[in-house]
Amino acid sequence: MALLTDFLGTLGRNATIFVEEVGQMGLLANRTIAQTGRMRVEPVAVQMIRFGLRAIPIVCLVNLFVGMIVAVSMSEMLLRLGVVTWTAKVVAVAVTRELAPLMTAIVMSGFAGAAIAAEIATMTVNEEILALESAALSPIRFLVLPRMVGVCLMMMCLTLVADVMGMFGGYLVGTAMLDIGGPTYLDINNNAVEWMDIPKGLIKAFAFGMIVTLVACRQGLKANGGALGVGRATTNAVVHSIILIIAANLGFAILFNWTLAEP
Amino acid sequence: MSTKARHNRPAGGASGAQAAQPATASSAKVPATAAASAVPTPTNVPAQVVVETVDLVKRFGDRTVLHGINLQVRRGETLVVMGASGCGKSTLLRCLLGAYVPDEGSVRLFGKDIHALAPNEMDSVRKRFGVLFQSGALFSSMTVGENVALPLKEHTDLNQEMIDLMVKVKLELVGLREAEDLLPAQISGGMAKRAGLARAIALDPELLFYDEPTSGLDPIMTGIIDGLIMDLSRTMNVTSVVVTHDLKSAFRVADRMVVMNEGRIVAEGMPHEIKGHPDPFVRRFIQGPIEAKTAVFPRSALERGPGG
Repeated sequence: MALLTDFLGTLGRNATIFVEEVGQMGLLANRTIAQTGRMRVEPVAVQMIRFGLRAIPIVCLVNLFVGMIVAVSMSEMLLRLGVVTWTAKVVAVAVTRELAPLMTAIVMSGFAGAAIAAEIATMTVNEEILALESAALSPIRFLVLPRMVGVCLMMMCLTLVADVMGMFGGYLVGTAMLDIGGPTYLDINNNAVEWMDIPKGLIKAFAFGMIVTLVACRQGLKANGGALGVGRATTNAVVHSIILIIAANLGFAILFNWTLAEP
Repeated sequence: MSTKARHNRPAGGASGAQAAQPATASSAKVPATAAASAVPTPTNVPAQVVVETVDLVKRFGDRTVLHGINLQVRRGETLVVMGASGCGKSTLLRCLLGAYVPDEGSVRLFGKDIHALAPNEMDSVRKRFGVLFQSGALFSSMTVGENVALPLKEHTDLNQEMIDLMVKVKLELVGLREAEDLLPAQISGGMAKRAGLARAIALDPELLFYDEPTSGLDPIMTGIIDGLIMDLSRTMNVTSVVVTHDLKSAFRVADRMVVMNEGRIVAEGMPHEIKGHPDPFVRRFIQGPIEAKTAVFPRSALERGPGG
């Protein structure tokens, strides 16, 4: 009985914290968007290089493997059904609609989110944030805004790269393991991709980029307690953003497949 | 302890300071009561109050950290806030900076209630004060020179050449000219504090807050920092609030002192008044821990000895 009440208590407390966190992130988003008028290009470019260009190899590798995994795991069933060429179709649809934005976001939550959270948390515990505020320099404008814009833009670019790499993974498996001819594969692949899937993926990428940066900045700005606090902020940033990304992905899946799919 | 009654003290302190200045013979001879009703002249108008807190209360959850703090700091004055670790000094400082919102009472800087100001009005107040943080709080991704240049770049219309010149002047002032191109990670703690001071004075503030300016420094560096604090106050008529528990440095720089204990002001006055203050905590704090330790054991118990 005590165990049950403990469990429910913990659940309730965490739920409250979660709701508060989401609310706080909404406020942070609002304050950040309010500053967009005073945005400068250079800091955004710095963040795009830092979190975008450097993430390209990881995003490529991860999405190449994801495309290959989908191709391999689907091929067995498709072979039995006698439509092995459909592998191209399955991979193309799965990658462009769901896997490329999602996997890229998860990679970025570790690559950019953790770095942003650790960086801002360190600044918070070193009183650098307070120093910025005391000098009438908004940490939102100086730190949060360039990171948010940079990561959101790069998330969209990286998702495009991920789309290509995922399909390329499927192509490799299809041509090398399943004896589908290269031109045939490409033909089916190109017919399978609906042109609307790409912008939908980009919308998702943008939203996931917002989630990654907002969670990371929020965790960083509220950090306290020295090195331990920085570690906690970093872990929380990654864990919370992955949860929120997947939850948001579910929301988008419902939105795109049920609401927008109606003729 | 009525903190209200103490409100008169700063005025007294300020007029005492004025007496030291070359006052005109007539105003010096006029009794205090008559001076108050006389036509204001530069010597009998008390200096403007730059920092003021009224019944400031700050709580963290159930814990009350500040129990109604009343402070006044006048233009050009150096007020030292002393107290043991955890007495609420840092919380008070953060309330003064506007980082913490007080639960009760108010904080006025330059006559404006900072917690009632709109963000852009608050920013204009912030541009008038500088802060030296405990560890310097230099922005770690920028060089020392860029740290000092940042407020100038953001808040003035100066061109790059002018900013470079200003940065060199400020760094020269704190004796760090050679460190301009170093990153904060490459310099020592004392240098980081001096660089932090150079950044704090970049915009020539009227008011400076110092958070433990000398903690963790060797005696020579402490002397240098104390000298800088005094120079700034003397040559630029900067109003200063110094939060510290370093007694030697406190008595060196202070025009007036406040001793805090457990979130309350237990003593306030000129340095010599604090030295001779009757409050037992103040005496223990000033006279150091050795005195305090012997005070724990009654003399009679010690004389009796272990066998007695």
